[in-house]
Amino acid sequence: MLRQLKGLNWFRKPHPIIRQNRKHFDEFSQSRSLADYTFVVFDTELTGLNRRRDQIISIGAVKIVDLRIELDQVFHQYIRPPNLEHTDSTLIHRITPEQLRTMPAMEDVLPGFVEFCGAALLVGHYVTLDMNFLNRAAREVLGGTMSNPSIDTMRLAMGYKEVLFMDRYGHNKMSTSYNLSDLSREFGLPEFKPHDALEDALQTAYLFLFLIKKMKQGKIRTLKDLYQAGRNVDMMY
Amino acid sequence: MAAMKRNDVHSVAPEVAVDFLKGIMPFNSLDEETLTMVARHCRIDFFPKGTRLLTAGQTDITHLYLIQRGGVKSFITNDEGQVTLKDYRGEGDFIGALGIIRGTKANLNIETVEDTFCFLIPREIFLELIDTQPGFAQYYLKTFSDKVVNTAYNELRRHKWTLRGEEDLYLFTMRAGDLIKTLRKVDASVTIQEAAAEMARHRIGSLLIHQAGDPENIIGIVTDRDLRSKVLARGLDYSLPIEHVMSSPVQRVLSQTICFEVLLKMMSTNIHHLAVERGGRVVGVITSHDIMLQQGHSPYYLFKEIITQSTIQGLYPLAQKIPDMIRNLIKEGGKAGNITRMIAVLNDHILERMLILLQDELGQPPLPYCWLLMGSEGRREQTFRTDQDNALIYADPQSEEEKKLAEEYFSEFARRAIDHLVNCGYPLCPGDIMARNPKWRQPYSVWRRYFERWISAPDPRELLNVMIFFDFRAGFGDATLAENLRNHLVRTTQRQEIYLLHLAKDCLNSRAPLSFFRTFIVERNGEHKNTLDIKRQGITPFVNFARVMALKHGVKETNTLARLKVLADEGHISRNLWQAASEAYELQMQLRLIHQLHQLDNGILPDNYINPANLTDLEKRMLKEAFSVIDRLQSLLKTEFPVI
Repeated sequence: MLRQLKGLNWFRKPHPIIRQNRKHFDEFSQSRSLADYTFVVFDTELTGLNRRRDQIISIGAVKIVDLRIELDQVFHQYIRPPNLEHTDSTLIHRITPEQLRTMPAMEDVLPGFVEFCGAALLVGHYVTLDMNFLNRAAREVLGGTMSNPSIDTMRLAMGYKEVLFMDRYGHNKMSTSYNLSDLSREFGLPEFKPHDALEDALQTAYLFLFLIKKMKQGKIRTLKDLYQAGRNVDMMY
Repeated sequence: MAAMKRNDVHSVAPEVAVDFLKGIMPFNSLDEETLTMVARHCRIDFFPKGTRLLTAGQTDITHLYLIQRGGVKSFITNDEGQVTLKDYRGEGDFIGALGIIRGTKANLNIETVEDTFCFLIPREIFLELIDTQPGFAQYYLKTFSDKVVNTAYNELRRHKWTLRGEEDLYLFTMRAGDLIKTLRKVDASVTIQEAAAEMARHRIGSLLIHQAGDPENIIGIVTDRDLRSKVLARGLDYSLPIEHVMSSPVQRVLSQTICFEVLLKMMSTNIHHLAVERGGRVVGVITSHDIMLQQGHSPYYLFKEIITQSTIQGLYPLAQKIPDMIRNLIKEGGKAGNITRMIAVLNDHILERMLILLQDELGQPPLPYCWLLMGSEGRREQTFRTDQDNALIYADPQSEEEKKLAEEYFSEFARRAIDHLVNCGYPLCPGDIMARNPKWRQPYSVWRRYFERWISAPDPRELLNVMIFFDFRAGFGDATLAENLRNHLVRTTQRQEIYLLHLAKDCLNSRAPLSFFRTFIVERNGEHKNTLDIKRQGITPFVNFARVMALKHGVKETNTLARLKVLADEGHISRNLWQAASEAYELQMQLRLIHQLHQLDNGILPDNYINPANLTDLEKRMLKEAFSVIDRLQSLLKTEFPVI
């Protein structure tokens, strides 16, 4: 407890990398063409879903430049959580606590990830959850949160399916699962191994490309268009 | 620290891309390092259905596109806006290679017909591969090169089974010349005793005999068996010249003949010592024993068991062993053309042995007869479990009494033969085209009338039903009956072209199943559980083409590959078309054999329905090439038969 408080004190002033991150978005415009933005599509794996107790144990991310997935711009790292002995749920992620023990801690990983994201927009499937954990970690180890705007492919998928599959009585004819692999299957995307942060990120990237090019019959040109195409106002924040 | 970690992190990158490329020709031949390099430079792009990727004459091609999911069509549009569809490309296919290699703009329009994900390889990287990787340029420039064909066959085998070991391939790799030992020959004038002494001295079982005073002129051969049966058993004078007991002339094979062919020749002629010839000179002898020594599990054993079998029931289990033997041959790398010939030889021997034993049972037939084989049996193109297609022809009876006798005898003979064949594992013909059907058990003159009617006054529908009769050959018995019938058919045909028109027209009715590829690109969600009937859609067009052309040009062969070869030799089709058609035909037969073998292995009755999902990228590609030959066959038919 004392250490944690100390840690917070240490970072009363945000880490330089966080200040640089903020700078990227001082003048952020939504009216540029989508192809002009860089997107980082990412996924995290967690020890559990408790927002206060659970930890990120891996981050996987791929970059989309010019609306194409770039395969030499990839981020994938496992992270040693602080209280390793309580994290037996990690087994579903095909990594054992033993293996995790040899991995770097969050404070050694996060600066690299923030740098990787640079001025990109973040994309994730149910991104709110990942952002929550990410920013809690950022506050703890970097003394501030990331300023990158984020886009949720789950919400995009909802908006897309709503328009596409609503019958004339307003009922939705399609299955209602918005799970990443169900959606991928439904849209006929190539499928990757689930529960691997990098492959899930890649899967999300495929979904993202699919959605932005299919929505509004391909008429989405700018970030603002995308924002408006989403059903929910809080699709981005 | 963090920076270093990040480098590590980056190196895990493109596993997905590496895996993808590994499944695609010719990238699968790259070493791991090069593959990783290429994978790193890949981009993944998505193109919704209906997206134009390339426009002929306009688009500069910046990337090679490899289709990961989805499909595209390529087409050209002429000045009047008329669109000609060239082809469809699906998963694993490429777009833009030619333009990049030639440094030109796109030469075709490409548009997605489905939502499509592509891997993009930058132009420069692709050109580097073309320059540095052996086989890359050839692959993209020459679509149906030998190399690709060979790789395809190898992949077919590797894909379906793990190979046992290189040495097992001997039957298809070793050549007759590899197996011969020092040539031993004696002058025709030496005595039997001298010859036997020579054989004993060298511990050999056979000796070549040359013309007296001319060592290069081989005129005969003597074996241990000759000495036993022609000399000892008959108490012949040992001092007679050896040429009295030699077998002459000596059957020969060329030294570069693969052992499989040698074995096939031995089995079909029942001659077990063949002289091996190189550059016109006999350089040695090859025996069935030599070949068997190379491999314990040879078709030859089965063959021997069949020809020495003394009861019909004893043939049943032997016939059932044929699929096992064929399985081994395919695993050893046998090509469909060889395999089907081997199946035919073995089936012929079963039939021959069975009919000989049946004759013993029923007594000698009242008239000479010939057991005819039709359809795929007639063409020597059976795979596993082919239905029976047979008939019986016998000499014209000279009296009412003879007629009645013949009818009674052959009726019983055919009934029993068909039952035995069923027990051997050859299913009944659903169309009842079998010798037990009185309609197909007739004297020569009736058969002649059948063919005359089919040729001169063809009812198109009936003609299609009896098409397989035109592939008849002698199975067992008095082969001259079959030969006379064939000669008559050839003679009559030259006057009657009308039935050929019907046959040719039927050939044109079948469309190359290219849509198969389109459909399986489009219908992925299983609404159309679509499979390819490789026999009907893929193979039959080749068979029908070869038949109609062979009939037209008086070619007496019935085997499709043999027909095509004779047609090419006689200049009725180009060498080029012959080669393409033979390859296409054989490849499909191979796919079919392997498909059926797999079904047998899994306890399923073999059929001809191939599920595209089970095909590798390369197999699809090869099939597509094969299908495209059908168009060429059809356009040739249109010039051969201008009225249709």
